[in-house]
Amino acid sequence: MNENPYQPIAGEITDIIDESPTIKTFVVVPDKEFRFETGQFVELTLPGEGEAPFTPSSSPAETKKMDITIMKAGRVTGLLHQCKKGQKVGIRGPYGNGYPIADFVGKYIYVVAGGVGLAPMRSLFLTLVDRIKDFKSVVCRLGARTPQDFIYKDALFGPWQKIAGVDMKLTVDEADGDWKGNVGVVTTICENKDVDIKNAVAVVCGPPIMMRFATLKLLEFGFAAKDIYLSMEKNMSCGIGKCGHCMLGKYYVCKDGPVFTYEQIKDYPDIWD
Amino acid sequence: MEAVFISKLRPFLDAVAEEMELYVPKKSGDYYIFNRYDPAAEVAAEVNNIRACTPVKEFLFPLRELAAVFPETVEPEDVKPFAIFGLKDCDLRSMEILDKVFAEEEFKDPFYLKRRENMFIISSDCSDPGESCFCSAFDGRPYASSGFDLNVAKVRDGFVIEVGSEKGKEFVEKHSQLFTEVPGTLLSERDENRSETQKQLEQKNAELEFDTPLKEIVENSQESEVFDVEAKNCVECQACTRICPTCHCFYLYDTRQKDYFAKMKMWDSCMRQAYAEVAGGANPRKVLGDRIKHRLMHKFVYFLDRYGIDMCVGCGRCIDGCAGEMNIRTVLKKLSEELKDRGKKKSKVTK
Repeated sequence: MNENPYQPIAGEITDIIDESPTIKTFVVVPDKEFRFETGQFVELTLPGEGEAPFTPSSSPAETKKMDITIMKAGRVTGLLHQCKKGQKVGIRGPYGNGYPIADFVGKYIYVVAGGVGLAPMRSLFLTLVDRIKDFKSVVCRLGARTPQDFIYKDALFGPWQKIAGVDMKLTVDEADGDWKGNVGVVTTICENKDVDIKNAVAVVCGPPIMMRFATLKLLEFGFAAKDIYLSMEKNMSCGIGKCGHCMLGKYYVCKDGPVFTYEQIKDYPDIWD
Repeated sequence: MEAVFISKLRPFLDAVAEEMELYVPKKSGDYYIFNRYDPAAEVAAEVNNIRACTPVKEFLFPLRELAAVFPETVEPEDVKPFAIFGLKDCDLRSMEILDKVFAEEEFKDPFYLKRRENMFIISSDCSDPGESCFCSAFDGRPYASSGFDLNVAKVRDGFVIEVGSEKGKEFVEKHSQLFTEVPGTLLSERDENRSETQKQLEQKNAELEFDTPLKEIVENSQESEVFDVEAKNCVECQACTRICPTCHCFYLYDTRQKDYFAKMKMWDSCMRQAYAEVAGGANPRKVLGDRIKHRLMHKFVYFLDRYGIDMCVGCGRCIDGCAGEMNIRTVLKKLSEELKDRGKKKSKVTK
């Protein structure tokens, strides 16, 4: 028989890191070698309970294990949050198209992300940093609701800010006592002064409303629609462009995405819903 | 193509049933459904004048099936050869559409393929198309030209059986004692019947011959209010998608069995409210009118863009099945008129 595309491979959760009150990172070790490209997604099965799509947050260069950062948002993610180390899981994929890193070479990379949207961004960021000299610079404009809600705090508040070639700014919607940084939505820290827009690509990931306003801002800066990469969240289920749940216009987000250029999808009415 | 003649159906169907599971059309109320053939039945199966109510997808992609077992991999259940008698041209074309999805190069669905390979297709001519039939609008015909193993056409004193494949040829050769040569006059009778029925269909659906390609009509209806108006009569029963031979959305879900976990695959419907909803609650098609629009866009625009054919064969099952009396033909006509009106307004402005 042909290979069964619905069959997951087995894996185990070997570590769980609390990132924020609602977000955890699960370290998953697959039984078999499992390679992916940054931006692609996997279907993670909690056996007997359900399956949900996630973009791994670790670098694809790490081939023995994979980090999956998950926000408690629905039934399956709620159950995953109750899991302990040693939990067996199933993995299908990887699916779809990731970021076309080869096309990013020699350019400014303008990353705008918010909330749990930092998860796929971490995978991309680590990939870019591995070969940082290949890019003009990596600009990151990252937001969270409160300082507590930032994920990857240890890296974000320290080491990542000091990497040569990286220009990182953070913002929160609501500050707490210790926060010394910017307060406001992520677009309030976006500026275009040190970036040659004609030689830049933008990458956006986050809640729909944030993606919408970030995209508008980037267009205002002069980014061409074809140079704005959006990581779309839809209800991906089969992962192979058949079941229909993730359709966005003529596209199956699972197969043709999840990374799209704004140019590809801008004419559909429901992209931000 | 090669054809043979047989005066009665029963010996032919008996021969098929001896070799494989055979399903035949059986009248149930106003419609035909497929039932397992019973050689002992007093009344032999008849040629259905119109497509059955059952969409052929039921045989290839059942309502619910096992898709995977975890952690051990299991082979899907063994599919034995089976035959269906009484499929129509629209049914065969619906399989062509399903093949695009489930047999495409990149990701093949092994369960679908296994059933497809084991299926023996005996189609038949439509003698009296139903009120809801509109296959002629999609280049469909009341008789099959390809995609079958054998095709049966009722003529005076018997049946003309046409061979459409190697499998069909083997069958006819193996059972050559059942068949005789087709008298030439019967072939022309069959062809006359065919063009007569075709004419009827075309006359009935003359209103669906639009000046503008259907794709353009539907593609330009993003802003149309027609969908919200239609939504007022829709009770969201999902019958249209279940009964549609080309709708193929499904849902994967996990279950816990006694000693293993299973991933199941079950029909789903884009008409369901939470169909496209994500865990956080975002839903691109919360509004019913938007779901009706998406379904038509998928059928007449998106599928065409991707696979080069419409995802509708004009079988009219959705018209028969709709509890809210929505008629896809009326919707398409309304959209066509809207587009024409908009065109007129535009040309006035430019003048």
